[in-house]
Amino acid sequence: MTTAYRHWEILERSQTGPFMDEDDFLPKHFTPTLKKLIKKYEIKYDPQNPCPTDDDMADRVWQAAWDLFREVGYYNTDSHRLIQVTDEEIREALYMAHDQYWVGEGKDAVLWKHRQVEDPAPPFCIMSPDITCDEKYHQSICMAYLKEPLLDGICGPILEETFGHLIESSGPTEISGCIQHIYNQKMAARLLGRPGTFMVAVGTAEHDSGQIAVSNDEWGVQKTDARLVGSLTEFKTADTLLNRSLHYAQYGCYTGNLTGAIYGGWCGGSEGTAVTTVAYSLIGLVIHGAIFNQHFPFHLNYGSNTTRELLWAIAMAGQALARNSKLLQTSNGFANAGPMTEMLFRETAVHAMVSTVNGWHLWEMASTRNKYKNRATPLEARIGMEVGHAVARQGLSRAAVNDIANRLLATYEDDAADAPIGSEYHECYDVAKAVPTQEHYDMFRRVKDEIAEMGIEFPF
Amino acid sequence: MSLDELSKLVEDGETEDARELAGTLLKDGADPLEMIAEMTRTMARVGDLFSELEIFLPEIMLAGEALSGVVEVMTPYLDAVGGQAVKGKIVIGVVKGDLHEIGKNIAKLILETNGFEVKDLGYNVDPLTFIKEAEAMGADFIGASSLMTTTMPRQKEIIEILEAKGIRDKYKVVIGGAPTSQMWADKIGADLYCQEAKSAPELLMNLMAG
Repeated sequence: MTTAYRHWEILERSQTGPFMDEDDFLPKHFTPTLKKLIKKYEIKYDPQNPCPTDDDMADRVWQAAWDLFREVGYYNTDSHRLIQVTDEEIREALYMAHDQYWVGEGKDAVLWKHRQVEDPAPPFCIMSPDITCDEKYHQSICMAYLKEPLLDGICGPILEETFGHLIESSGPTEISGCIQHIYNQKMAARLLGRPGTFMVAVGTAEHDSGQIAVSNDEWGVQKTDARLVGSLTEFKTADTLLNRSLHYAQYGCYTGNLTGAIYGGWCGGSEGTAVTTVAYSLIGLVIHGAIFNQHFPFHLNYGSNTTRELLWAIAMAGQALARNSKLLQTSNGFANAGPMTEMLFRETAVHAMVSTVNGWHLWEMASTRNKYKNRATPLEARIGMEVGHAVARQGLSRAAVNDIANRLLATYEDDAADAPIGSEYHECYDVAKAVPTQEHYDMFRRVKDEIAEMGIEFPF
Repeated sequence: MSLDELSKLVEDGETEDARELAGTLLKDGADPLEMIAEMTRTMARVGDLFSELEIFLPEIMLAGEALSGVVEVMTPYLDAVGGQAVKGKIVIGVVKGDLHEIGKNIAKLILETNGFEVKDLGYNVDPLTFIKEAEAMGADFIGASSLMTTTMPRQKEIIEILEAKGIRDKYKVVIGGAPTSQMWADKIGADLYCQEAKSAPELLMNLMAG
């Protein structure tokens, strides 16, 4: 059960809620309220501890996030109206949300369950390059990800071209590209013998029309799959986004809420980024009827979330959500470095261990700041998922992870601004066979051994 | 009361107090050209702090608002001594299909506070609208931002329409946004790729000079 039963009331509010000029919404409404709540709840960033152990502060982050959503509302940029909800509605939505869902189909279906802080159950692992790729590599990249043993779900690479035509958002090329995207992904899953694999699709759709075009249980996005609906920075939506959540609910697939609170932007610092991230989970549940939240808070300058100010925000938000709700949330890594660099493996490992121990599920890995075409591979996602499984099964504490994270951060943090962009997919993977090159695999193995020496007991 | 105090008020985003002090200083005979030069230095300092994220977006926006208030008070005094030189005119917006405008808003602020006249077209802007607005303003530059790979082609369309109308040489086309790159700028024939907002004023000045 999601909150889809309230969809029409929510949509009505987006037309009839209080009017506000968009120019005033962030500077005069959102940010002052957030600042006030950070002060009221005494939330304080601690740079020495990227993976803090402070249950009380986690609960205060939760309360601040709740108040933020209720006091600020959610702004529709098309109607210039605020969608407002009550405490009772938030409580009701949290009560109605399930703590587990079966996703995927047949033998490949997986039970996705809520995790606690320091939970010994491994995280649910969604693997995604998040990046765009050349049309000629799209199917191979889908295959390569689906070959990953720890993959529970996949979100494939994004197409920029479809049969030689540049894809333009909201145009016919986007509809074509979206169909090509899901065909490639589904065919790759079938060829590999994992036809029922859970998919979050399709990233090629920037416009609602692209998403709607691929809703088809025979050849497209199935009802056992999920789709994402995003927000605009911060706390803003638009009709094209509300179209999506309504369509997903009516079609009958799962909805995921996609948000990236920006550190350095309207949220301010780490404290505001943590609070806003948690509040977005409530928005996802109450406004969009999402069964899971897909969060990628990121640094305004770097476009990444593997440095300590973002890790702290991820850790606090994860603890707040895990301790105070039964919701599902994935932590989406954004790294500075590119494929086949040691830095990328280390960044992914840190992001995964901090996320896992703080109650998150994993969504790895947007390499090279999610900026450069073809620069993401499954191998960095693999190290993240292996670290996540290890941290959970070992029962590592937040303090232990904090120590390892600090040691790994020391190896790359100063290079965040000028990180190497590494190699493209075809330079470090055998495209025909969809497997990593020996050189690439050797580097993975080397960094994995290095991390193992720090105290991570990999299961294999 | 001094220019230093005025700088501090602008830096702190205290619009009303900054306006009041600027008015008092001008009535007391302060040199408006010296004052505007000091304000430019102040905003450069604020810009530096922001680029290192020692302050965050809300703080630089407030400082920009305070500066606008001061400049409004100063305008009659500046006009009396020949006016403030406008470094260039630019229409700026986020391309059609794209609703993400944080980068564009930062660029707008940095350009305005560095002496450029900026017409903000908002987001989800049709390629032809960029051109019509540039014509109406008599702009030197068209600035087009895109945050999504599937909206980047709209930047190309602006250039194609300029060519089709035979006015490509009238405007310098500047592109930016997370997925864009120098390679993309070269591919579509843009005049400038702007990787981050802070360097925009200098790059635009160089482009005008060059």
